[in-house]
This record gives sequence, structure tokens and C-alpha cells, in this order.
Amino acid sequence: MKRYFMLMAYVLIFAASLHYFTDQSAGPTVEDRSRLLPVKMKAVKAGDSPSDIQQIVRDANAAGDEIAIAGMQHSQGGHTEYPDGILLDMKPYNEILEFDAEKKTITVQSGATWGDIQEHINPSGLALKVSQSQNIFTVGGSISVNAHGLDIRNHGLIDTIESMRLLDATGTILELSADQNSELFKAAVGGYGLMGVILDVTLKLTDDALYQIESEQLRYDEYSDYFKEKIKNDQVKMHLARISISPESFLEEMYVMNYSEVAQQDLLTEPQKLKEETLIAVPKFFLGLARLNDEGKEAFWKTQKTYAESVDGKKISRNNVMRSDSEFMEYSHPKNTEVLQEYFVPVDNFEAYIDDLRKTLAEEESFNLLNITIRYVEENEKAVLSYAKEDMFSLVLLINQGTDSQSIEDTGRVIRNMIDVTLDHGGSYYLPYYGYPTKEQMAEAYPRTKEFFELKRKYDPKERFMNLFYEEYKQ
Amino acid sequence: MNYKRFIVYQGAIGMASTMIFPFYILLINNVGNSYSQFGWAYGLFALTAAICYPFIGKLADKVGDKWLLGVYSWGMALTLLFFPLANEIWHVYILQVIMGVFGAVQRNSEKTVLARHVIKETAGKEIGKYHIWTSIAAAAAVIGTGYLVDFFTISSIFYIASAVFAWSGFIVMKKEKQFSGLPE
Ligand SMILES: Cc1cc2nc3c(=O)[nH]c(=O)nc-3n(C[C@H](O)[C@H](O)[C@H](O)COP(=O)(O)OP(=O)(O)OC[C@H]3O[C@@H](n4cnc5c(N)ncnc54)[C@H](O)[C@@H]3O)c2cc1C
Repeated sequence: MKRYFMLMAYVLIFAASLHYFTDQSAGPTVEDRSRLLPVKMKAVKAGDSPSDIQQIVRDANAAGDEIAIAGMQHSQGGHTEYPDGILLDMKPYNEILEFDAEKKTITVQSGATWGDIQEHINPSGLALKVSQSQNIFTVGGSISVNAHGLDIRNHGLIDTIESMRLLDATGTILELSADQNSELFKAAVGGYGLMGVILDVTLKLTDDALYQIESEQLRYDEYSDYFKEKIKNDQVKMHLARISISPESFLEEMYVMNYSEVAQQDLLTEPQKLKEETLIAVPKFFLGLARLNDEGKEAFWKTQKTYAESVDGKKISRNNVMRSDSEFMEYSHPKNTEVLQEYFVPVDNFEAYIDDLRKTLAEEESFNLLNITIRYVEENEKAVLSYAKEDMFSLVLLINQGTDSQSIEDTGRVIRNMIDVTLDHGGSYYLPYYGYPTKEQMAEAYPRTKEFFELKRKYDPKERFMNLFYEEYKQ
Repeated sequence: MNYKRFIVYQGAIGMASTMIFPFYILLINNVGNSYSQFGWAYGLFALTAAICYPFIGKLADKVGDKWLLGVYSWGMALTLLFFPLANEIWHVYILQVIMGVFGAVQRNSEKTVLARHVIKETAGKEIGKYHIWTSIAAAAAVIGTGYLVDFFTISSIFYIASAVFAWSGFIVMKKEKQFSGLPE
């Protein structure tokens, strides 16, 4: 008897606990990969058909809820979050709708990742024209930041979009391209989810090809000339460089990797198998050392150089270049996180810029810089928020920092100083990262900032599409 | 409760407790944010247990193992219901202290039951057999839970473990003529 009594009492308490628990966690807490901005949102919603998503937008309109659109959430400045808003998760909206190997086009739903597309088109010997160096991002998230990568021949991502469908704040689906609704097109590409929901996208593809890697070491003051000479050679299709962050050769030593189309393409008789991530333990270990101290940074830089040398002369397909490893960068620590910054600086100003950057960082001993990768972006001012005001080098900085408010403040100060240096050299910075820059810095880096925010309100007067980036930088 | 049922019982609670332990750090990650807090949470647990052993030892001989096992099961079942509600690091500390008390009850009773049951001559074999089954149950629980956390939230793990404890408390309390913690 006693035990039945216990059981009854238990069931009651169980129910009470569950009740309080569901109450307590009614709003999901959402954070992006940088883990600096956990935000409580009202709900997470997703749909796998245009009508589902249309309904979500209409419901939000009726209820007066804000919507923050999210892909893989690799952006780091709350671009996919808004307190008490609806998070529209685009990941399940990821079908490949149409693939025309003859015309070299593919139409995909915007939650598809570059990796999904690669798997679909690699067997037909086709490849993406422009994407990030890694393939883990969604098409919608990439278009919304107007991403760039290793390719130096196919211009901007915006040029590879034949057309796309956008669901606006009223729930209407519009056709967007360079010719159709072009004002909205140029605002939505690099529009950080503020103009509407990108539904499906038709992308122009190119041929997959076999490239030979050529790697060399040089000094930072030789780099601009080296690159200008290199780019004259049409065979070079992709390019990447790294500059040392080790105290022993800080911002002086560099190595470059060029990917040139090989003469006998028949070597690629059948599509190269897509590579999967292998052996992440080794880079993970050395990156771990770099986090620790100066000796670790030197060891990391040495292995990077050795690695670059070891791949010199190797052959690799275009598709495989465009799916670099990323897993080894995954980092979980209770107190620290890793954030990215990216600065663009005109090719001719590179040397002077690096000298100034070195000076700025000279006294920042607690600023834990782990890696700088350099790529090239060609001038392209089609998108309203264009970072490539002329032909530029882009420097991606990987920074380890604490998640407490003091660390955020310290890192912020260093970053704002670096951005000032960048702006002094006619440069700009990339917007998908943490909101360290000031409003003034954004306006200087992006001369059409004001126009962009006006367009936002023209196409979304009720500010249905919201996120922390807009909240912070709107004018 | 006969000896066979005791093994089933130990297997079940072993499963339930190993289920939550490794994943506990994830909860602390949500409410606190440092390894030192994690260290403290475990330290408090061990410390309370140490303080409690002398009392529990005496109690066991007075009230019997079965009674204590019941207290342990129901106590854990109820305590675990509070974990999902913890949202401050001090909540976790308090819960750890309570868990420390129950932990000591369990460890002590497990040994006293064994001591009272096994016959000296075959003690090695018996206790070996006992450990096989309880270890298998524990291993299955940790591995299985690894998958569970992928699908559910950490909180649901606590609810599931709590239900297992409640069930174990229920079977301990089942009337049984022979077994009262004394040799059969
Ligand atoms: C490790 C790492 C490496 C990176 N490398 C590069 C690189 O090589 N080159 C580069 O250019 N960038 C790079 N980035 C930045 C990256 O391109 C952007 O953060 C990109 O937005 C990530 O895509 P996502 O799917 O995670 O988008 P999310 O972060 O989910 O979203 C980004 C923005 O797009 C909006 N959005 C998402 N989907 C839609 C949609 N369907 N319709 C409308 N708006 C939408 C969101 O509201 C948000 O404002 C890198 C980032 C990381 C973390």
C-alpha cells in the first residue's frame, strides 16, 4: 500500500516539475556560433515549402512579431537573432529543385549548403563559381553576406546568381535578378536577412577542373608585386596566402598557394571523388598549441609552412579546393570562444598597411591572434553593401577571446584600432562578425550604409525582419 | 527482495546514475561557466558523502538495508526532478549536497547487502558476478544516453533517470517475506 502512495506522490511532483520546466523554458535561447550573444527568442519556426514560410511571415504580421532569419548561424554578430522574435530556421528548406548540366545552372532552396550542391553536381563534372573556402554554409546565408572565397576569376558571388525568389514582408514572392527588381536584388545580396526571405536561387555553374598547387614563401613587402605578376597568368584560378602570427616573424613571413589549371585536363577523366575531412587531430593539436603561448604559435606557423611545402606540385580538383576542412577549428571551452574578423585593403597599400597593423598590435600582449589568411577580391560594387571598393586583399583573423564582459571590452578596443588602421589605408571590413566596430566605422567602410538602411525601410516599412545587427547599426 | 532482484535493482539504479553523471557537465555549462565550478559541484558531493558515512553505517544496522535502499531510490527520484529547474550555479551546489547524502546511503547499503548475502567461501565469484551485471548496465546507459542527448535536451535525461529511480524505489518496497537485509 505504502508504495502505491509513494508512486502517486511521485507522479504529482513529476508533473509539477515538468510544468514549471516547460514554463521556464517557454522561449528558446538562441546563440550563434561565436557564443557571445545568447538571446531569448519567442519561438523557432521552420518550413519546407514556400507556402509554409509564407504562412510563418503572415502569422508574424498578424501577431506583430519580428522575424530573424537563420541559416547555419555562422555569422557572429547576432545577425540571426532578435530578442523575443521568431527565429525562422531555413535549414530544412534545402531541396535541389532543378539542375541543368547543359546550361550549367542549378536551382536550389536557400537552406541547402554548398556541400549539398557539390555532391549533386560533382558527378556531372561541374563546380561552383564562387563560394567561401568552406562548404558548410547555406546558400541563403552566403548570399546575404555576399560571400567570397578562393576564386579569383569569377568576380563576386552576386555575379553568379542568375535569379532568385524573395518573400517580402507582406508575404508576396518576388522575382529578383540583375534586371528584374534590381534595386531590391542589390540590397538583398549582402542584405543580412533584412529585405526578406530568400526562397530559391538559380546559380550559374562552371566546369570542374584539375588544378596544380604551387606554394612559395616570401616576405610581406614582396607580396603585392608578386600577386600582380601572378594574376596576369590566366591559368592561375585560385589563390590563398598566410602571414605569420608567430612573435619570431610577426606579420613578416608569408607563404602563398596558387591553384593553376593543368594543361592536360584529360587527367580528370572522371570527376575526382569529393574529399571528406580526414586527420583533423593534427591541425587541431597545433592550433591548440597556438592558443596557449608564443612557442605554440611558432610551432603552429612552422607546421603551416611545412604543410604548404608538402602540397607543392600536388593536383586537386576545383570542387575539392572549395571544400576546405573546418572541423578542426571547432572549439568548445567553457569560458573562451573564437571569433573572426576580416579586413579588406587595396592591393597596392598592403605593405604600408601591414607595417601599421604591426605597430598597432605591438603592445597588445593579451590579444590572442591565432591565424591570418589572405585572399583576393576583385573590385565589385554591385551590391549596396559592397566591401570591394577596388581590387583588394582580404585578411581573415582568427582570434581567441573570453566570453566575459571584460574580455569583450578588451578585444573590442583592439579590433576598433585595427579597423581604424584599415580605414586609413582605404580599406573596409566584413560585416558578418561580432558588433565590435562603431557605427561611424561602418559608415566609413560602407559609403552607402545610409541608403541601405533606407532601402530596408522602403521594402520592409514595418521592420518585420529584424536582427541584432540592424538594431545596432541602423541609421 | 531476493538477491536476484537486488542485482536487477542495482543494475537499474546504476544505469540511472551513470546516465546522468557524464552529461552533468553539459548542465553546468548551461548554468555556470567554468571548470572550477564543475570541480566544486563534485567536491561538495564527495565531501557531504564523507561526512554522512558514519551515521548511515549505524543506521543500516538498525533499520535494515531495504529501508535505506528505498530512501535512496525515492530520494534520488525526487531530487532529479529539481535539476531541470536549476538555473543558477548555487542551485546546482545545493542539489549536489543532497545527492551527496543519498550517494553515501547507496554506497553503504550496496556493500552491506553484499556483505550480508554472500558466503565467505564463494565471495569472490559472487561479487564478480554482481559487478559484471551492474557494469554492463552502466556501460549501456552511458552509451545510450550519448545518443539520447543528441535527440532530446539534457533536461529530459534527468526526467528519464528520475523515472528509473522511482521504479526502483517501487520494486524495493515490494513486500517480500524472506528478505529484510538479513541473510536468507
Ligand atoms: C569558420 C568560418 C569561416 C568563414 N569563411 C568565410 C569565407 O571564406 N568567405 C566569406 O565570405 N565568409 C566566410 N565566413 C562568413 C560566412 O560566410 C557568413 O557568416 C555566412 O553568413 C554564413 O552562412 P550561414 O548559413 O551560417 O548564415 P547565417 O549566419 O545563418 O546567416 C547570415 C545572414 O544571412 C541571413 N539569412 C540566412 N538565410 C537567409 C535566407 N534564406 N534569406 C534571407 N536571409 C537569410 C541571416 O538573417 C543573417 O543575417 C566564415 C565564417 C566562419 C564562421
